[in-house]
Amino acid sequence: MTAAIQLAGVAKRFGARQVLAGVDLAVESGQSLVIIGGSGTGKSVLLKTILGLIPIDAGSIRVDGQPVNGLKGAALAAHRQRIGMLFQGGALFDSLNVWRNVSFALAGSAASRRAAAIDNLARVGLGAEVADLKPSEISGGMMKRVALARAIAARPPILFFDEPTTGLDPINAARINNLIRTLVRDLKITALTITHDMASVRAIADRVAMLHGGRIIWQGPLDALDTCDNDFVRQFVTGSADGPIQAAVR
Amino acid sequence: MIGLFAAIGAPVLAGLAAIGRLARFAATALAALLRPPWYPAQLAQQMLIIGWLSLPVVGLTAIFTGSALAQQIFIGGSRFNAAATVPAVTVIGVVRELGPVLGGLMVAGRVASAMAAELGTMRVTEQIDALVTLRTDPFRWLVAPRLLAAVLVMPLLVLVSNALGVMGGWLLATQRLGFNSAQYLATTARYLQADDVMSSLVKAAVFGFFIALMGCYHGYHSGGGAAGVGKATTNAVVSSFILILLSNLIITVIVFGS
Repeated sequence: MTAAIQLAGVAKRFGARQVLAGVDLAVESGQSLVIIGGSGTGKSVLLKTILGLIPIDAGSIRVDGQPVNGLKGAALAAHRQRIGMLFQGGALFDSLNVWRNVSFALAGSAASRRAAAIDNLARVGLGAEVADLKPSEISGGMMKRVALARAIAARPPILFFDEPTTGLDPINAARINNLIRTLVRDLKITALTITHDMASVRAIADRVAMLHGGRIIWQGPLDALDTCDNDFVRQFVTGSADGPIQAAVR
Repeated sequence: MIGLFAAIGAPVLAGLAAIGRLARFAATALAALLRPPWYPAQLAQQMLIIGWLSLPVVGLTAIFTGSALAQQIFIGGSRFNAAATVPAVTVIGVVRELGPVLGGLMVAGRVASAMAAELGTMRVTEQIDALVTLRTDPFRWLVAPRLLAAVLVMPLLVLVSNALGVMGGWLLATQRLGFNSAQYLATTARYLQADDVMSSLVKAAVFGFFIALMGCYHGYHSGGGAAGVGKATTNAVVSSFILILLSNLIITVIVFGS
């Protein structure tokens, strides 16, 4: 297998705070890798650096073998075309109805885009009756599904999921996890997910990596997670208040 | 001594950096106006929001201010036998200053705050990041249509504001101060010059640019959740008020100063 995403020594600092301090990571093509880690450890920043939304201070990022650092204009747009993203809160455009959100990045007539939107809504278990609703008229779980439909609409080969189950009840969270797993398998997508929801990790991961102190401190297959002897990983997986990871005061 | 220099220098440098960021933002927005893709539906929607929906507040402001101005000119003019100057001074005052300035301030209060709140909310809810990941330039989709719409519709709004301001003066003068309607309108027409109208329209376009620029700039760079959006909204209104008043002074001095 070839690495769809390859990070080497990626570093990023915001003022005095070193958020990423040399991240090394590889995601194989067609694989679902989940990055776990506490709040504020730079997981979202890591995704945004790969997307080219946040420039890095050091290191290199390659997607499908192409370097991402320093991309501009059409090259950066082409890079982003290969990646779909599900944002933590959905990030649906308030001013547009559901079908216009889903088909936002699609070309063609309004009728063809609406048909494509309804097709993608069906993939995430939503009927055509929601197509004309505004985001403010649907529930949080439905918003996540609509956002997922928008992320897959252009059939990108790579999908990023930022805390996909945050704010959802356990049943809706399980539905989103199943959807992600199904979409990754059916559409043969390379998936990179960040979460601190262990149920989500177990449902969607092929491999797991843990980000702590700005570095990947452990990575391995999902099966190895429970038998891992890394104290940080064990504390995170068990959710224990006692251990080497201390709650951030600020 | 070094501490004193540092205390003075730090805010000066911060101010210069802020001006630089704003100039860069404005240049990027103007460049976005010149290159496709363009979004006519976004432009039309913003023209409706900025122009049509501002008409009531701008119109009422103009009518009330024009009437009050006529009353004050009558009272002041009566002190030295110049009460007959009411139509001439009212039309000059309204068209040159009150119409564009008060119209600009009212639109700034309504529109700059709304733009800052909308873009600020989009920023903190990651909608602007989502636009980028969907290969849409936020400057072309969000900022450029607002800037162009404000520059296009503000002159139209101010034309209406001027007309209603003069009408307010005429109403009060004929209904309360005993002026003859036909004579009032004839005097108004005689004293109104093309330069007055042109300066009014130029001011309106400049004010529209600053209103949209401030609303978009502060909203786009908003952060820190709801409190950050609130701060962006306040900054957008205050800074657009200051820029409207400052640019009004500069244009007035340039056009009428000699």
